[in-house]
Amino acid sequence: MLLRLMSFEWRNLSADRTPVAVALLLAVAIGYGAWNGSRWVNFQKQAIASAQAEEQERLDSIRKDIPKIVDGSLKVSPFQDPRMPATVGRSTGVRYAILPPAPLAALAIGQSDLYPYYFKVTTGSSQTFMTNDEIEHPVHLLAGRFDLAFVVLFLYPLVILAFSYNLISGEKESGTLALMLSQPVSLGKLVLAKILLRAGFLIVLSIVLGLVGIAIGGADFQVPGALTRLLFWILITSAYGAFWFALAVAVNAFGKSSAANAIVLAGLWLLFVVVTPSLLNIVVEAAHPAPSRVEMIQAIRTAGDTASRQGSQLLARYLEDHPELAPPQEAGKGGPPDFATLQVAVSDATDRSVKPVLDQFEGQIAAQQNLVDRLRYLSPAIVAQSALNDIAGSGAQRYGHFTSQVNAFHVKWREYFFPRTLKKEMFTVDDVAGIPAFVYREESIESLAGRLAGSVAGLLVPVVVVALFSFLALRRFTVVN
Amino acid sequence: MILRIAQKEITETLRDGRFRASAAIVFTLLAASLLLGWRHHAEVSAQHNAARQSTRNQWLNQGKKNPHSAAHYGVYAFKPNSPLALVDHGTNDYTGVAVWLEAHKQNEFKYRPAQDATSVQRFGELTGAAVLQLLVPLLIILLAFDAFSGERELGTLRQLLSLGVKPGSLTAGKSLGISASLLMLLVPAAALGSLAISAASSSGEITGALPRAAWMTLGYLLYYGALIGVTLAVSALASSSRTALIALLGFWMLNALVAPRAASDIAKSLRPAPSAFEFAQTIESAMKNGIDGHDPAAERTSRLKQDLLKKYNVSRIEDLPVNFTGVSLQEGENHGNAVYDRVFGQLWKTFAEQETIHRTVALFAPGLATRSVSMAFAGADFSHHAHFATAAEEYRRGIQRTMNDDIMRNAGKSGPYLAADELWSKVSAFDYKSPDAGWVLQQQGPALLILSVWCVLAIAAAYWAVGRLRVF
Repeated sequence: MLLRLMSFEWRNLSADRTPVAVALLLAVAIGYGAWNGSRWVNFQKQAIASAQAEEQERLDSIRKDIPKIVDGSLKVSPFQDPRMPATVGRSTGVRYAILPPAPLAALAIGQSDLYPYYFKVTTGSSQTFMTNDEIEHPVHLLAGRFDLAFVVLFLYPLVILAFSYNLISGEKESGTLALMLSQPVSLGKLVLAKILLRAGFLIVLSIVLGLVGIAIGGADFQVPGALTRLLFWILITSAYGAFWFALAVAVNAFGKSSAANAIVLAGLWLLFVVVTPSLLNIVVEAAHPAPSRVEMIQAIRTAGDTASRQGSQLLARYLEDHPELAPPQEAGKGGPPDFATLQVAVSDATDRSVKPVLDQFEGQIAAQQNLVDRLRYLSPAIVAQSALNDIAGSGAQRYGHFTSQVNAFHVKWREYFFPRTLKKEMFTVDDVAGIPAFVYREESIESLAGRLAGSVAGLLVPVVVVALFSFLALRRFTVVN
Repeated sequence: MILRIAQKEITETLRDGRFRASAAIVFTLLAASLLLGWRHHAEVSAQHNAARQSTRNQWLNQGKKNPHSAAHYGVYAFKPNSPLALVDHGTNDYTGVAVWLEAHKQNEFKYRPAQDATSVQRFGELTGAAVLQLLVPLLIILLAFDAFSGERELGTLRQLLSLGVKPGSLTAGKSLGISASLLMLLVPAAALGSLAISAASSSGEITGALPRAAWMTLGYLLYYGALIGVTLAVSALASSSRTALIALLGFWMLNALVAPRAASDIAKSLRPAPSAFEFAQTIESAMKNGIDGHDPAAERTSRLKQDLLKKYNVSRIEDLPVNFTGVSLQEGENHGNAVYDRVFGQLWKTFAEQETIHRTVALFAPGLATRSVSMAFAGADFSHHAHFATAAEEYRRGIQRTMNDDIMRNAGKSGPYLAADELWSKVSAFDYKSPDAGWVLQQQGPALLILSVWCVLAIAAAYWAVGRLRVF
C-alpha cells in the first residue's frame, strides 16, 4: 500500500515542473560547491609543494656551499655561515611543518581558510613563525566560501522546505486531500508515503551529486580512513535533510495555509541556521572570552626585554642547569659570550615566561570549543557544521592536533640545535641529512568516528522527536474546515 | 487618499500579531547587538590605549643602544576601532589587529580575532549590521508580500478598485504605510544606536562619526526603499500570495546568502591574489636580486660606495665625513621601501580590482552594495585597514630615517656607537587620524549610486506593476 502511494506520489511529483527546477538548481549548487572546494584544496597543495621545493633547494645549496667554505673558495660572513648551528637552526636549515589536506578536504573549506597550514619552524620563539596567514581579501573570509558545506548547511534545507512546505496544505487547498482520503487510506499513511518519497528523492540526489562532485574534484579514496569519512558524510547529510523534512511535516500538521506554513518554516530556518548560531557565539564568547592579543603582544615583549637585559646572568643559570653544554673554554679568551650563545639562554627564558600567557589562550579557546561541543545540539545546523568540518579535516580538532605536533616538533628542533650552538659544533655535509623533519601524524580514525557518531545521534534524536510529534498532531488534523 | 491608504495599512500592520512578534524579535536582537557592540568597543579601546601607551614607553625607555638595534627593536602599531564599528564590525574580525614596525621589513598585520573564535562564528555574528542586512529585509517581505495579492484573495481588491482609487495613489499609500510601520521599529533603534555611538566616541571622534552615521543611514534607507518597491511589485504581479512569498524569499536568499559568496568566488577567479608563499618569495628575491632581478645586493652596495667616494672626493671609506654604515642602512631601507611599495601596491591593486568585481555583482544584488556602504562608513572595511597600514608604514619609515640619520652623523669612525634617550624621544608618538566621511564617500560613490538606482527602479516597477493590476 505504502509503495503504491509512493508510486502515485512520484507520478504526481514528476508532473509538476517546480520540483524539477528546484532539483536542478540544487544540482548546480552542489556541483559548483564541490568544484570550489577542490579548487581550494589544489591551491593549498600547490603552496605546500612550492614550500617543499624551496626547502629542498635551500638544503641542497647548504650541501654545495659547505665544502666550498671549507676549502676557502667561498667567503661568507660568520652570520651567514651555513656551518654555524645557530644559523642553520634559525634560517638556512629550517624545515616546514606541513598539515596536508585530509582526503576529503574538498567537502568543507571550514576553518582552513583562516588557519595557516604550514609553518617554517625555527629556533626562535613559536610566536614568530606560527602566524603566517594565507593572503585573502578579508571580505571573502567574512562572506565565507561557496563550498559543499555551505550548500548542505544553508541551501539544502531551503530546497527541502520549498519541496515540502505545502505537503498537506497544498493538497487541502486544491481540494484533492478530501478526495484522496475518501479512499481506504489513512492520513498518516498518506503523509508518510509523500514524505518518504520526497525525502528519499532529494536526499539521494544530493548525496549522489555530492559524491560525483568530489570524485571529479580529485578526492583521494586510497588514504586510510577516507571511506569512513565518506560514510559519515552520507550519514550526516541524510540525517540533517531528514530533520528538515520532519520539521515540514510537523508544521503542515497544524493545518494552516501554504503561505502561513512557508512563513513559519522560513522563520524556523532562520532560527536554526542564523539566529541560534549567532546567539551561541555570544554565549561562548561571554563565558570564555579569548584573552586580548594586544595584551599578549605586550606581555611577550616585556618578557623578551627582561630576558635580554639579564642575558649573561640567564646564560650562567642555563649552563648551571646544563653543565654538559658549556662551550669549550678557548685559551686566553675570557671575553663576553657571543650573540648566538646568549640567544639560546634568552629565548629559553623568554619562552618559559611567555608560556603561561600562551597557555591561557589555548585554555580559553579549548573551553570555547568544549562549550560549543556541548551546546551545538541546540541547532541541527551547528551539529552538521561541526561534523562536516570534522569529516573534511578543516575544523578546530584536526588543526589543534596539528599545532600540538608542531609545538612538540619545535621543542625537538631546539633540543637538536641548542646544544650544538653552545658547543659550537660546525655542521658538515653529512649533518644536513640529520636535521629533524616534521611528519604529520593523522588522528586515529576511531576517535574521529567517536565524535561523529555523537553528531549523527544529535541529528537523529530531533528527527525522531519531531516525527513523533507530527504524527500525534496529524491525528487532530481536520481535512475539511 | 494616499494618507488614508497609508493609515489603513499601518492600523492593519499593528493589529497583525505576526508583525508585532517579529518586529519585537528584530528590535530585541538589534538592541542586544548594539549593547554587545558597545561593550566590545569599550573593552577593545581600553586595551588598545593601554597597549599604545606601553609600546611608547618601551620605546622611550630602551636605554643606551645602537640606533640600529633600536630600529630592530621597533614599536607596535595597534589598529584602533572606530566607534561606528559597534554597529558594523565589517572585516575587523578577519584582519590582524597589530603590526610590528621594525627595521628592514614591512610586516603583515597579525592576530585576526576570528582565529581565536570557534567555527560557529562563521555562521555570522550578531551585529547591528547582521540584523539590518539580513533580518530587516525579511521583515519587509513579511510586511508587504501580500499587500496586493492578499487584497485580491480576500476580494477587497475589487472593492478598492471599484472606488476609483488611482493605481498611483494605491502604490504610494501602501509604500507609505509600510515605511511608517518599519520606521516605528527603526527610529527607536537608530536612537539607541546613536546613543551607543556617542557613548563610545571620545570627544574628538564624535565630529567624525556624525556624518559617517548619516551616510550609513542613507545607504540603509535606499536599500529598504528598494526592497519595499521590489516586494510591492512582486506582490502585484504574483498570481497568489504564496507565489509572491516564495519568489521574495528566493530573492532574499540569493541576495543575502548566495551573492556575497558568489561575488567572492568570481573575484578570486578573475583576479587571483598570490599565495602567501609566493608573496614572501617575491619580496625575498626582490630584496636579494633587485626589483627587476638584475641588481644584486652586493652590486648595489659597491655602487653606493663608489658614488659616495666620488661625491665627497675621497678615496677611502674612512675618510668620508659621514658614517658609511648609516648611509648603507638607509640605502637598504630605500631599496626595501621601493620593493614593498611595489609588492604591496600590486596586492592592494588586486584587492581593489576584486572589489570592483564585487560591485559589479552588486548591480544584481543590492545587499552587496549595502554591505559595502555600511562597513565603509563604519570604518571597518579593507580600505580603512589599508589606510591604517599605510600610516603605520610611513611611521616605520620615519623611525628608520631618524635612526639611520643619527648613525650617519654621529656614529664616527670606529668603535661601538650607543645613542641615548634623547634620540628615542626625537621619534614622535604614532598619532593616527582616521579618514573623514568625504574620503569614504569617494570610494562608496558607486555603491551608493547602485542603491539609488535600485531604489528608483524598484519603486517605478511597483507603480508599473500596480498599474496593470488585475482583479482576478
